[in-house]
Amino acid sequence: MNEALELLANPWIHGFVFGAVIVTALMSVTAYITWFERKFAARLHSRMGPTMVGPKGLLQPIADGLKMIQKEDIVPRDADRLLFNAAPAITLFFALAVAAVIPFSPGLLASNLDIGVLYALAVSGLMGFPVWVGAWASNNKYALFGGMRAVAQAISYEIPMVLSALVPVVLAGSLSIGQIVEYQIEHGWFAFWPPGPGIFAFVLFMLTALAEGNRIPFDIPEAESELVAGPTTEYTGIKFGLFASAEYIHSLLASALGAALFLGGWDGPFGIPVFWMLLKTCMLFVGVTWIRWTLLRFRSDQLMALCWVYLVPGALGLLLITGLYVHVRG
Amino acid sequence: MGYFIATVDSLWTTFKQALREPTTVNYPFEQRERAPRIRASFALTHDANGEENCIGCKKCENVCPSEVITVVAGKRTSPVTNKGRGYADDFTLNLQACIICELCVQVCPTDAIIMTQEQEKPTFSREGLTLTMDKLYANEKQKRWAWANATVLWDQQDPERGAEKKEEPSAETTSSEGAS
Amino acid sequence: MAVAETPPAAPVTPAAQATPIAPVTQVAASTGPLVPSGPPRDGPIPPIRAARTPRTDCKPTKAFVPEPHLDLSTYEADADLMTLSLGPQHPSTHGVFRVVLYLDGEQIVKAVPYPGYLHRGVEKLCEKLMASNITPIIDKNDYVAPMTNEQAVNMAFESLMGVEVPVRARYLRTVLAETQRVASHLLWLGTFGMDLGGALGGGTSLFMWCFRERELILDLFENLTGCRFHYNTHTVGGNRHDVPAGWPEMLHRTLGAIDERLDQYLGMLEHPIFSARTKGVGVIDADLALELGLTGPLLRASGVDHDLRRDAPYHAYAEVDLKVFVEDAGDCWARSKVRIEEMRESIRISRILVDNLPPGPICSTKPLKMVGQHKLPPGQVYVGIETPRGELGTWLIGGGANKGSSPYRLKIRSPSLHACAVIPYVLPGCSLSDAIAILGSLDPVMGEVDR
Repeated sequence: MNEALELLANPWIHGFVFGAVIVTALMSVTAYITWFERKFAARLHSRMGPTMVGPKGLLQPIADGLKMIQKEDIVPRDADRLLFNAAPAITLFFALAVAAVIPFSPGLLASNLDIGVLYALAVSGLMGFPVWVGAWASNNKYALFGGMRAVAQAISYEIPMVLSALVPVVLAGSLSIGQIVEYQIEHGWFAFWPPGPGIFAFVLFMLTALAEGNRIPFDIPEAESELVAGPTTEYTGIKFGLFASAEYIHSLLASALGAALFLGGWDGPFGIPVFWMLLKTCMLFVGVTWIRWTLLRFRSDQLMALCWVYLVPGALGLLLITGLYVHVRG
Repeated sequence: MGYFIATVDSLWTTFKQALREPTTVNYPFEQRERAPRIRASFALTHDANGEENCIGCKKCENVCPSEVITVVAGKRTSPVTNKGRGYADDFTLNLQACIICELCVQVCPTDAIIMTQEQEKPTFSREGLTLTMDKLYANEKQKRWAWANATVLWDQQDPERGAEKKEEPSAETTSSEGAS
Repeated sequence: MAVAETPPAAPVTPAAQATPIAPVTQVAASTGPLVPSGPPRDGPIPPIRAARTPRTDCKPTKAFVPEPHLDLSTYEADADLMTLSLGPQHPSTHGVFRVVLYLDGEQIVKAVPYPGYLHRGVEKLCEKLMASNITPIIDKNDYVAPMTNEQAVNMAFESLMGVEVPVRARYLRTVLAETQRVASHLLWLGTFGMDLGGALGGGTSLFMWCFRERELILDLFENLTGCRFHYNTHTVGGNRHDVPAGWPEMLHRTLGAIDERLDQYLGMLEHPIFSARTKGVGVIDADLALELGLTGPLLRASGVDHDLRRDAPYHAYAEVDLKVFVEDAGDCWARSKVRIEEMRESIRISRILVDNLPPGPICSTKPLKMVGQHKLPPGQVYVGIETPRGELGTWLIGGGANKGSSPYRLKIRSPSLHACAVIPYVLPGCSLSDAIAILGSLDPVMGEVDR
């Protein structure tokens, strides 16, 4: 037993084991998140949602996955085959890579990086580019439009997202997510304490996470009614499935990041820490889903205006106030 | 700020909707009550003596806007009355192109063709959607009849129909589930 | 077209007003020859009667631009512009409709609509079918509001044959038309939400709710006619199905529920995102609207106070006090507003009329017992009614094939086709997202555009 633990202390083996655990867990959670979202949306619509596969449609995600694997894999004749095939996998890779630094409980994380926040934001920011690569490679005008919009949105919204995530970093004085969470356990959650910049930064972070995750009201890259399916127009079968699950994982991990940075991570009054972390993540994800099924969509220029006219100056102001607070606090 | 308040307001609206019971039903296992007048498929009827009502007059064939009805008229001696009368030797109704307009029911002089409330089952072959004479007579026994036949329709459309004759034959409206 | 080009000549003569036949007919005055090559029958064709005072306050129209677009000379045609074929298979063209967009980035420089993918030759088919068989076929034209199609074509037959419709049937037709208007506008509201909010988002929530309410109205029609959609409930001289017991109460219940829930949805539409997406987008000014022959909510949203239900009452519209809503802005928001207010007004009228449904017969001709029973006399007539989309005109020349039971010619003036005509004028200068919003706010039904 001790030998096994010693083996686990080896960073390579530790990373591999926890990485495998987290990736597997994430993929299955993502599958069931689609079930949850379908049921939730159905409730909002006075529908029943999936009912046929398994009790209450619980086996529906498995059926969906099987269906996607079975579907014919179509590559357009004029597509750039290499990039077209690589793009979904790269997108999913970047989406999953964020999970490496998310602490689900004090021990349960793949890698306790000292610059965890920076890493998470950088990797999730990269997600827009393989999407664009896939869109460009599929040689379709709708996909090209969607890809261009995706890149424009990713670049623009990356800035307020990073700026708002810097608020807890400045408050806690560390770039490591684990240390930020521990600081919150000691001093109170950043969303509520110190009152003021924390809650605004939290709202701003979730707003930009919505935008980064291509969720309504910011889903202009996909914009079904305008661009058919945006960057994924030409994708079929499991490749489309990879894109879709990457998007879900991205949303989920953004919620987890929000919970860790602003809501105290695994901090809870009783019980096991991982439960509280998952609960907070799920609550945030429900909020994201709820907003998605409620609001209409912005126009692309309005989206850019919102980012550059309101969010970026707002985030800078927040950062300034936080810095002053920390300076005064000493 | 207006965005924020309006968003919270909209979220509240959707939340209230989420508290409602679903309006839809789990279709193949549950079915909504259908109106008595609903028309879906066809049947040919017999009269009280067990004799076929259809006299092969071809009025339905002529009136059909999409020309899906084919009647082969014949003349035989009736086993009931022992008198010669017209029969339909063959009666085919192709449901593939039928637009369910009820005009064949409307013109039938003997109330022979009626519509049923239950529709045909989906099939895998074109032949499955052709209602042959056998199927039409089987529908008479198997399916619930719709409200309308020619007599009822003619009575409704009678230009002399006065105010005192206004009582309705049978049609009661079904309750509409969502309107509560 | 008819409104804009109508010269203010052709005064309404007392003789024309006293014409005994077809009191429910209104006709656009026209002096030009309206006969296709070769008269249908021997003998003179009676002129089209004028029962409505033509509008005289239309301003002179702008110079007609045959190919409206932005300044193309600033672009190099081969290099700068990207053509994007929006449709025929596109989620937001509301049917099979194709618009070729010439794009500079996201901005539309030129838009060319190509209708015709859903052409089924209905008008030609009607020259073969007999009067009683045309009703179920014409149902399929405007497949969002089939009830009004039936009414339009049957009113044309009645007008030509000189058949008067009983009072009960006229009331019933009004109730059906207004209820159908609510259903049609509900479908528009849902699809408009989809256009603005996507198939996976708040738009879909709106869409589902609107469909839920629309289903209630279809339940009403199912209880009355036996069909949910293609009813075939009108016939020459009246209706085929009388009101079943309990139907008026059901209508009250349904419309009351819809009226109540409408408020909730409108709360969602007051969201700033909705205003941002619709206000000032796709402005159609009154001159352009009149020039292109727009009618219905599109015209009223452009500030022209014109509604056939009030200006040339047919059915039982003369007996109710109908409010007509006019907005001046002419943008997508105004069109939404007009339709939403119309929905409320239609609910109100239906509830009043169904309470006052008079007793009596519902059909003034003998019930259809054999094909070819209704003979169409030679002559021509134009009947226009106000459908949810605008003026649906039926121009009918009698005395065709089948010993005179078929029309010689049946021409349908569909409001949706005229709505599509506005696309090349409004789209240039907008972004791609705006184009979808504008297409949604025009609410064209392709079955009616292509016929």
